[in-house]
Amino acid sequence: MAIPPEPESLSAWTVARGGRGLFHLTRRTRRQLLRGGVACLAFVGLNALLAARFGVSILNYTIAGLSVSSIVIVSAIGLTLIYGIRGFANFAHGDIIALGAYVALFVNLNGLSLIWGTIAAFAVLALFGILFELVIFSRLEGRGPVPPIVASVGLGLIIQNGIRTLATTRPWLYPVPAYSDIPIAPGLGVNPIRHILTPAIGLLFVVSAHILLTYTNLGKAMRATADNLELAKATGIDTKRVTYATWAISCSFASTAGVLLGLTSFLRPEMGLNILLLIFAAVIVGGVGSPWGAVLGGLVIGLSQEMSAPLFIWLGQPDVIGLVNASAYKVAIPFIILIVVLILRPWGIAGRPPAFVSRVYFVERITQAILSRTAKAEQADGDDGG
Amino acid sequence: MAIDTGILINVGFYVSFSIVFAILALGFNLQWGYTGIFNAGIAGFFLIGAYTAAIAITPPTPPSPGYPGHLGGYQLPIAAGAILAMLVSGLTAIAIALPTLRLRADYLAIATLAFAEVVRTVAINLEPVTAGTIGIIGIPRLFTFSGTNSALFTTGTVVGVGAVIILVLFVVLHFIVESPWGRVLRAVREDEEATMAVGKNTFWFKLQVFAIGGALMGLAGWFFVMALPYLEPAGDFAPAVTFSIWVMVIVGGAGNLKGSIAGAFLVYGLEWSSVQLKDLAPDALSPSIPYIRLMIVGALLIVLIIYRPEGILREKKRVLR
Repeated sequence: MAIPPEPESLSAWTVARGGRGLFHLTRRTRRQLLRGGVACLAFVGLNALLAARFGVSILNYTIAGLSVSSIVIVSAIGLTLIYGIRGFANFAHGDIIALGAYVALFVNLNGLSLIWGTIAAFAVLALFGILFELVIFSRLEGRGPVPPIVASVGLGLIIQNGIRTLATTRPWLYPVPAYSDIPIAPGLGVNPIRHILTPAIGLLFVVSAHILLTYTNLGKAMRATADNLELAKATGIDTKRVTYATWAISCSFASTAGVLLGLTSFLRPEMGLNILLLIFAAVIVGGVGSPWGAVLGGLVIGLSQEMSAPLFIWLGQPDVIGLVNASAYKVAIPFIILIVVLILRPWGIAGRPPAFVSRVYFVERITQAILSRTAKAEQADGDDGG
Repeated sequence: MAIDTGILINVGFYVSFSIVFAILALGFNLQWGYTGIFNAGIAGFFLIGAYTAAIAITPPTPPSPGYPGHLGGYQLPIAAGAILAMLVSGLTAIAIALPTLRLRADYLAIATLAFAEVVRTVAINLEPVTAGTIGIIGIPRLFTFSGTNSALFTTGTVVGVGAVIILVLFVVLHFIVESPWGRVLRAVREDEEATMAVGKNTFWFKLQVFAIGGALMGLAGWFFVMALPYLEPAGDFAPAVTFSIWVMVIVGGAGNLKGSIAGAFLVYGLEWSSVQLKDLAPDALSPSIPYIRLMIVGALLIVLIIYRPEGILREKKRVLR
């Protein structure tokens, strides 16, 4: 029998896009782009206002905020992926970041350049990630969110104090020349490492995460697994392999965040723990499990923390309220944002409210509970009678 | 016969700090072991209790060169310090619980951990109130003695008072958790929605438990400044304290009051003996002993939560009647 020829028609791309061509944007994408544009304009406008009112040098805080945001975002993408797939908050993520920084330092101290150190840390931490899942977290599957949290705290303690034992508590410094700031306006300067390299690498990681999650089979499998584990399994996705891959990606992203963090100041064993709360705040503010939410949350958290610094400096002046060590309080800002978001939008600013679903689910659960109680009671009565 | 009081005092310190941790562990056990509220901010409530008590009972300490001074000079009776510490910690717990207690366990853990870190940052930096990194000094002792062996008597009375507190707490909490009220707590832990369905206001029960647990942690803060008459905010109230309490409750057995006390004595015993070992260990190793101890604590957390989540003393099995 002759096989009928394939109808010559749309290209693969067009088919994938529902016959609308390569550059067609769905309504949701258009709406998101519009919102993003408005937010960007508002942000630029705010900075223009600040610069007009307080002078150009106030923009130093914005630039610092972008740098902090980049580090938070690179870490938060990794954390939110694990959160989405394994359903628990990895409290060891901060210490994994520190581990990455120290692995890069170790390679660097053994004669290779820091770039090779970063690449080596990327690979080594991927292996560590797989190891963590294999040895610890795969054994805690299906036990709810608290046991893995406890185990991750234990893992964090082991990593942090392992670093203290092996690398001592002295603050290490990457052997990178101290570049001075490039002046771009009177009173305004950018540091080549902190303010140019760090955001550039942050952007690189965001773009690669987007490409990974949108266009690769692994990324699609990861999103499917995070969305609905049972359904993903039923569709034939090897969710175990996806989980291992996610751990590898999460930990290697964390290693680069660690190197970037180490470049901004010293390497300390507790460096990761100090930034962990920022990362958690970014993940929750953005919406748990959503990488783009992590980007958004990271920007909100990093920028608001750094841009609140001048406010606290103002409060610290003796004629205002004379707060001692005023700039130390800026760490409270992410916490306040976190609490406000948890009260008003616990699903995050980028997430979607699960209100309807959960209400239906709730009614279902109550019905089930009552039915099973009644059944048990009837059974008990029957036993007594017999 | 002369007794070497040094060793006795050292053991007395071990017992009194174990009692501090036992009170913290009882508070956390009530929250997590019985009700299923996972609190990661134990150190924060502990800190608030300790500072409240210290500020309330300490005589005036004017600023001097090298000491910034702090809020206080009220010289209230020591018992009033305990009540105030419980009150302030309990009220803080209510304030934290109102927005966060509806959240899932993992969100609650993050929010409470962040709370504890913010409180610690404030304590380190708010010098006019807390004297900053130096901390509050010259906190009055429970009883003052003079003459030979006065240090031994002071430690002994702290241990005695602590033992009474632990005994009273154990009896009271035992009756609480065995009461119908305690039964609701276990129902909330097992299935909150089913408990709601049978007509219990679970949020109200969780709020009560969180406040009582917070008050107990405040009491532990008060007893801490009784055992050690000065405060050092950076180390004493680090997140590691919270994690140690988790280990104590998990080792002892969640949902078992005796377990919490036993766990506190065991796990703090590990820390105490590691400090004692420090002098015996070779010089190359001795600086890393505290870190090795914390690594052991971490490994213990992982191994226990995987292989023996019910702890040494498991919860009493209850049969459906």
